[in-house]
Amino acid sequence: MIDYRARFRSNLAIAACGLAAFAVVPFVANSGLMFLAGLVAINIVFGMSWNLLFSGAGLLSFGHAMFFGGGAYAMALVSLHWPGLPFLLGLAIGAGAGALIALVFGVIALRRASGVYFAVLTLVFSELIHLVITKTTFLGRNDGLVGIPRPTIETGLFTLDLTSATAYYYFIVVAMACAAFALWCFQNSPAGRLIQAIRQDNLRTAFLGTSIFGWQLTAFVLSGALAAFCGAVMVPFTQIASPEIAYWTVSTQPILFTLLGGAGNFWGPAVGAILFGAIDYGTRAMHGLSEITVGTLLLLVVLLIPGGLLGFLQHRRQKKRRKPTEPAPKRTEAQP
Amino acid sequence: MYDIGMTVFNGLAWAMATFLVAAGLTLIFGILHILNFAHGGFFMIGAYVSYSIMLGFGGGLPLWLYLVRAMAAGVVVGLLGWVVDKLVFRRLRDVEDAYSLIATYALLLICGGAVTLIWGLNYMGVMPPPALNSVIFLGDMFMPTYTIFIIFCGVAAFVGLELFISKTRTGRLIRVVAADPWMAQLLGLNVKRIYLVTVIVSFAMAGAAGGLLMPNQSLSPELGGIFLLQAFGVVILGGMGSIRGAFVAAIVLGLIESFGTYFFPQYPGIFFLLALGVILLLRPEGIMGKEQTA
Repeated sequence: MIDYRARFRSNLAIAACGLAAFAVVPFVANSGLMFLAGLVAINIVFGMSWNLLFSGAGLLSFGHAMFFGGGAYAMALVSLHWPGLPFLLGLAIGAGAGALIALVFGVIALRRASGVYFAVLTLVFSELIHLVITKTTFLGRNDGLVGIPRPTIETGLFTLDLTSATAYYYFIVVAMACAAFALWCFQNSPAGRLIQAIRQDNLRTAFLGTSIFGWQLTAFVLSGALAAFCGAVMVPFTQIASPEIAYWTVSTQPILFTLLGGAGNFWGPAVGAILFGAIDYGTRAMHGLSEITVGTLLLLVVLLIPGGLLGFLQHRRQKKRRKPTEPAPKRTEAQP
Repeated sequence: MYDIGMTVFNGLAWAMATFLVAAGLTLIFGILHILNFAHGGFFMIGAYVSYSIMLGFGGGLPLWLYLVRAMAAGVVVGLLGWVVDKLVFRRLRDVEDAYSLIATYALLLICGGAVTLIWGLNYMGVMPPPALNSVIFLGDMFMPTYTIFIIFCGVAAFVGLELFISKTRTGRLIRVVAADPWMAQLLGLNVKRIYLVTVIVSFAMAGAAGGLLMPNQSLSPELGGIFLLQAFGVVILGGMGSIRGAFVAAIVLGLIESFGTYFFPQYPGIFFLLALGVILLLRPEGIMGKEQTA
């Protein structure tokens, strides 16, 4: 039996520690590092949104940039053309744009393709959206949309001024924490477990009277909405929406985060995103070194420890707890 | 008439350039069932190696030296393929599809990083060799000799690969392994070695393609990704590792792309993606169906 309450408490403790760490960043680091930390916070949830598909529904997406970029551009358009619109409504529109893209694409593609073919289809569609952005004057073509203002939020009782980078940084941390919490609740709800059951054995789950297509589509739309939400939150921070955020290399980012950290663990993408940010920062002086480091790490993880860093640590801990006379578990890290 | 001729010519140029890159990719996809993201990276390394050899010789090479140089790039990248098979591909046999796709993406990252470290981030332009730097007029159509040369190379690569697969002993063994690796092992074939040969041939083709196509492109570390998506499209559309399928798919997509760009010149590149998406949705197993292999 799993003690769900204890698990909830330990997850809450991890989240609290993480939040505290992000909260002190503006006090101890310069504005450049704070900017990086804000992007890392967004990347954490971006990675989680991808992992909802991968570890949750068993779908490999190589096109998450279309949601991220879609949300970012929706937010940019809204804040440039309707400055009076409440900021939170703009975020909702951004997330909605991602959900809409995911719905249209999912309805077409989920029925027709699976596995590697599905992955390539997501890549193709996301590249299509990137190309359309670079060719559309309304969306700023290759220059992107610039000068996006940071908002102030009117709550009726008081006004939240987020126009400074530090204030908006805190908004990001809070928004991402809320999004991660919502995702955690979903994944541990009956619906979330059903989606996991589909990944483990879709035939048996279908026998139970479950609509595989329906639930995969649900996961796809939720994942798209969450990724788009991340994009929408990012735009006022960087104050620019450029076509690069819809390029296919962005699609591979959440894959990197998740696999480095560990796909089987809820916190895997968080560990991966922080590690990735650290590597990027540490090797910024030398072009090319960060790609080599990240690529080698990723390769090692896939070949030697498919559970990622967290899976590796968990495995080590379990082995330590066992009596030394007991035989080691079957899968070990001692493989060549 | 002039326009149609030129559009077909451009479509064929696109198709054969893409096929040169896709030929090696489709080989690994068909035999090892790995969709190799890194192929674009090794294509790029081939182009850079060939660039460095050219710098060593000074510009203005005669045609045969230009070909030798591309072959040399092919040999270098083929050797890299040997290393990659030993270190990586060999271990991907029992790994889930998703993970092996991601492992090859990791290789692509390493390729990009290595190229940036060695050759730098700057764009480098390359001219075709003097022998191919002219234009042929056919009626009022003008055709660069270099483009004609690339079309010729694409057809030659297709014919060569088909002959290799169907006529030589090694090629037939490759087909045996592609059809049923387990049975091949029972019959006493050295499956591992055949996989190794496949990988080396595929990588050598990527390297040689890099050397041949280099004058078409300005060299930059982004080169790996530019051809990759086109080649992916051709391989997937051609069906599981079918060389004939890839050849047909390249021509179909090339013509769609060039006619699309002719009618809507403001959207280059979009028709290839649209066509690929639509065809994939209608026929997820590709043009030639599932049965064809190698």
